[in-house]
Amino acid sequence: MADISTAISSAPAKSPGKRLAVATTLPRSGVERIIEWVGSHARPLVALLLLVLVMSPFLWLVQLAFRPAAEMFEDNLLFTPTIEAFTSLLRGNFLRSFGNSLIVSTVSTGLSLALGVPAAYVLARWDFRGRRHVALWILVTRMAPPIAFTIPFYLAYRWLGLQDTITGLVIVYLTFNLAVVIWMMQTFFEAIPPTFEEAAWVDGGGIWQTFRLVTLPLAAPGLAATAVLCFIFSWNDFFYALILTRTNATTAPVEIVNFLQYEGWEWGKIAAGGTLVVLPVLIFGVVVRTWLIRGLSDGGLRE
Amino acid sequence: MSIAVAKDSWEAQRRRAFLLGLAPSVIVLVAITLIPALALVITSFTPLSLTDPVGTFRFDDLLGNYRELMADPRFLGSVATQLKLSTASVLFQVLVGLGLALLLNGSSRILAAVRSVFLIPMIQPPIVVALIWKILYSPDVSPMHRALEAVGLPVRSLLANPDTALWAVAVADTWQWFPFTMLMVLAALNSMPADPIEAASLDGANRWQLFRYIILPYIRPILVVCALFRLIDSFKAFPLIYVLTNGGPGTVTEVTNYYSFVQAFNFSYWGYASAIATLMLAGVFALSWLVGRLDWTRHGRH
Repeated sequence: MADISTAISSAPAKSPGKRLAVATTLPRSGVERIIEWVGSHARPLVALLLLVLVMSPFLWLVQLAFRPAAEMFEDNLLFTPTIEAFTSLLRGNFLRSFGNSLIVSTVSTGLSLALGVPAAYVLARWDFRGRRHVALWILVTRMAPPIAFTIPFYLAYRWLGLQDTITGLVIVYLTFNLAVVIWMMQTFFEAIPPTFEEAAWVDGGGIWQTFRLVTLPLAAPGLAATAVLCFIFSWNDFFYALILTRTNATTAPVEIVNFLQYEGWEWGKIAAGGTLVVLPVLIFGVVVRTWLIRGLSDGGLRE
Repeated sequence: MSIAVAKDSWEAQRRRAFLLGLAPSVIVLVAITLIPALALVITSFTPLSLTDPVGTFRFDDLLGNYRELMADPRFLGSVATQLKLSTASVLFQVLVGLGLALLLNGSSRILAAVRSVFLIPMIQPPIVVALIWKILYSPDVSPMHRALEAVGLPVRSLLANPDTALWAVAVADTWQWFPFTMLMVLAALNSMPADPIEAASLDGANRWQLFRYIILPYIRPILVVCALFRLIDSFKAFPLIYVLTNGGPGTVTEVTNYYSFVQAFNFSYWGYASAIATLMLAGVFALSWLVGRLDWTRHGRH
């Protein structure tokens, strides 16, 4: 805990004092100038230092993925990177599971948006009796431990023949994605003044026509943030896929654990698999950073 | 008169349109959440297991599973483990998240960049978090273990040691989830009015006093919501336990969620596992209700 308190108090506190001290001494040596510079940049410097420290576990995974198998247990950071681990990974089942992950995440996101966006709009605009109960129910759905759904779904899927199918996973992912869509889009719709819609209604537009032409375009950034979050939540799922798939519909996260169990701890392949699974999320994170942050903070508060 | 009729039919038309928009979601949610939840509760009243496939429809001893649970030391132990793990990791991540938010709150581009990068642990797949920490806790490939060995302090695997295994999991969980609190606190700090801080600084308040008497009271509701959210979410922690420890050594890191998983998918005691999951669902329900009330009062005040 000590490092936290120093991070809060010392870093910002240092800078004003340092600046004062330097202002009173006129002739400055090189060392003093460095000290002054460090003092006035203490906060970003501490931030960068923490960045390296906090992200080093992640970077260690990535470097293991590129490390030649013969040097796996050595410390040198100056090795010739190889993509051997990746190619051997792609020779196996991994590519298919990666495809499965993409399909399941995309379809589940699309389906949740198609179902959830109109519902969110209704909840934002229509104050009917029982609205709060519906809201609480959706919140609980979002919060429920997956094990509570997994047991009935597992038993039902055995009976319905949906075990180990893409369709089965898409349906299960609706249990959390639909709640996310409804909660998040509701806040975005509430932020849009209803006067725009009322004007369109007076001009003779129907509710859903107005929604499509007026409200939805205004909520587009929110829609994008929601879609990104749904995709990431589906992509990241491990528990449902572990239990509800065997060989056909395994997703990438499960496949990593599978070859871990069948082939033992092959660190290079495990690290390569981990790097590949993290990649789409990182790409998303970079491309739609602002939307993602907005989604995470809004969704987090309201979900 | 005719105007009233027209308005009336517009209202009716509007309600019909709204129902049409809401109905598909409600129907799907009933089918995929309410019915499974009911099925879960019903299963929890039966002795259903792999060895007893007809047990589904035996209701001669409704509370049998629950009675057994209350006398099952492994279950009670799992609840204690869950509480220990949840308390430690929620406390750590709220403190770390708060500290980093205070440090990184600012308009400089470096700070903004660091803020974004710090979201990675939270948004990356939990299985990758688990793999990363499996590597860090495995002496033969871990930079941490090698560094300790180099300075002459070799430590054996923290995960294999019953005294440290749970702490090791808590550290990994903290690493994964501190960004959540950080993000929430940053959002709150962003919306905080600048006047009180300026006024207090002019009056000679130091940084600690500013934090203690102005910033902390303002962000306290957010911290409470963050802690409750993370507390509820911590009951779901699975990939970390599954990959890092498998509940071991012994049952030292076996949390309730994991115990239910073991009962259902390793031993095929569906009825018994359902009873555990039902209790967890009830706990989550109670905590969600609490969050709802907190959130509601917070909005009411503004």
